[in-house]
Amino acid sequence: MKPHRRKKLGIIIFIAAGLSVAVGFTAFALKQNINMFYTPTQVAEGEVGSGQHFRIGGMVKTGTVLGATNSLKVNFVTTDFVSDVPIQYEGILPDLFREGQGIVAEGEMDAKGVFQASRVLAKHDENFMSPEVKAALDASGASAENHSPVATN
Amino acid sequence: MWLWFSKLGSPKWFYELSGKWLPWLVAAMVVFMTVGLVWGLLFLPPDYQQGFTSRILIVHVAVAGTSLAFFPLLLVSGTITLVWRMKLADMVAKNAAILGAWFSFITLATGSLWGSVMWGTWWEWTDSRLVSMLFQLFLLLGVISLRSALEDSETAAKACALLSIVGCINVVIIKYSVEWWNTLHQVSSPVSMDTQSPNGPEFWIATLVMIVAVYLFLSVSLILSTRNEILERERRSQWVQDLVSKS
Amino acid sequence: MLDAIQFSSFADFIDMGGYGFNVWSVYGLFAIFVAVNLILPLRKKQRILRQLKRRMTLDEEINSEDSQSS
Repeated sequence: MKPHRRKKLGIIIFIAAGLSVAVGFTAFALKQNINMFYTPTQVAEGEVGSGQHFRIGGMVKTGTVLGATNSLKVNFVTTDFVSDVPIQYEGILPDLFREGQGIVAEGEMDAKGVFQASRVLAKHDENFMSPEVKAALDASGASAENHSPVATN
Repeated sequence: MWLWFSKLGSPKWFYELSGKWLPWLVAAMVVFMTVGLVWGLLFLPPDYQQGFTSRILIVHVAVAGTSLAFFPLLLVSGTITLVWRMKLADMVAKNAAILGAWFSFITLATGSLWGSVMWGTWWEWTDSRLVSMLFQLFLLLGVISLRSALEDSETAAKACALLSIVGCINVVIIKYSVEWWNTLHQVSSPVSMDTQSPNGPEFWIATLVMIVAVYLFLSVSLILSTRNEILERERRSQWVQDLVSKS
Repeated sequence: MLDAIQFSSFADFIDMGGYGFNVWSVYGLFAIFVAVNLILPLRKKQRILRQLKRRMTLDEEINSEDSQSS
């Protein structure tokens, strides 16, 4: 084989290998579960095996956030308005975390049915509103809940 | 129609015509970019939850949306190259792949800069929107390296056309990933005409201006690099020699 | 129109409500991205034209030398 052909072949094999690795990584990431998280209803229906490390996604139920004053421990309930799952977490919460907001938590269920989260991410919905519009909407009696759809589908 | 088509394929004709369009495209691009950036940085209202990070999203959405145009463009130009052997289509394809990789990278980077403060994470391997966009970047890098390895042979054109088909499938996956699967990434924002409702004109007009600006930038950059390609590949032709001696 | 500006001071403008680093990084990155993809093709064009011109004058010199020697 001529040297320049061999060089070309080498490059092609290199690309093919690179592409396979990329596809492999993607497939691996997707195989675990194309869905990033389970909904509280799916958890309630027992779709997740016990002792499994998984992610759960839902809204933070209004009035359920209880934080300890002397530590970063926080307890709250996540809901998809059908089922509720209590969550315990210790750590820094993202800026967007607040009641009525969507979240994704990663961790596992303990024996008492409380989800022990090692990580909590905030999920933003597709709605943008300036504070003025938000205030006007609140004043006219339309609550924020009417505009923030359930985070899960 | 066919006369027009074969004329368009002539590099000389394209060079002359694009030379006439360029000043207008550049002027429009400057206007839209300036309006978009000044609006984005000074006038765009904060979101009641995200604060001023909503300003990141008008840039992110414009670049991300535009980045989805590259694989369809590569597929069309690849097919034209294979079927009609039009040199111009191949020149466009070569530069579109490079620019597309830039677009994909900027999409990922701007998204990360938003996610790091809003989601609480820079990157999630389990989010299908994020991973499919990264896959688009890898595919475009694949197209670029295939091309540089095989130069402008028939095999390169065929291999790139094949990758473009995969890329177009991936574009559909990117687009609908947020609807088909549970993702951390939000779904596309609807547009509302009502100034007193979410996603009103105060947000989407600025985004629209940025989208137009980014599309104009894509056209200008692609035309500039295609013209360079023409000069290089046609350097032996009489019209390029005339052009050089005049410059 | 000036009333619609969201900031009362320059410091506020830089701070972006506490998200200054992220917002300015995105706009900075975008500016670099746009500038690079316009400036590089323009500089390449200059280079190509310069090279072609040099080759042309070189060809002419060779041609004239040939005609003198013959």
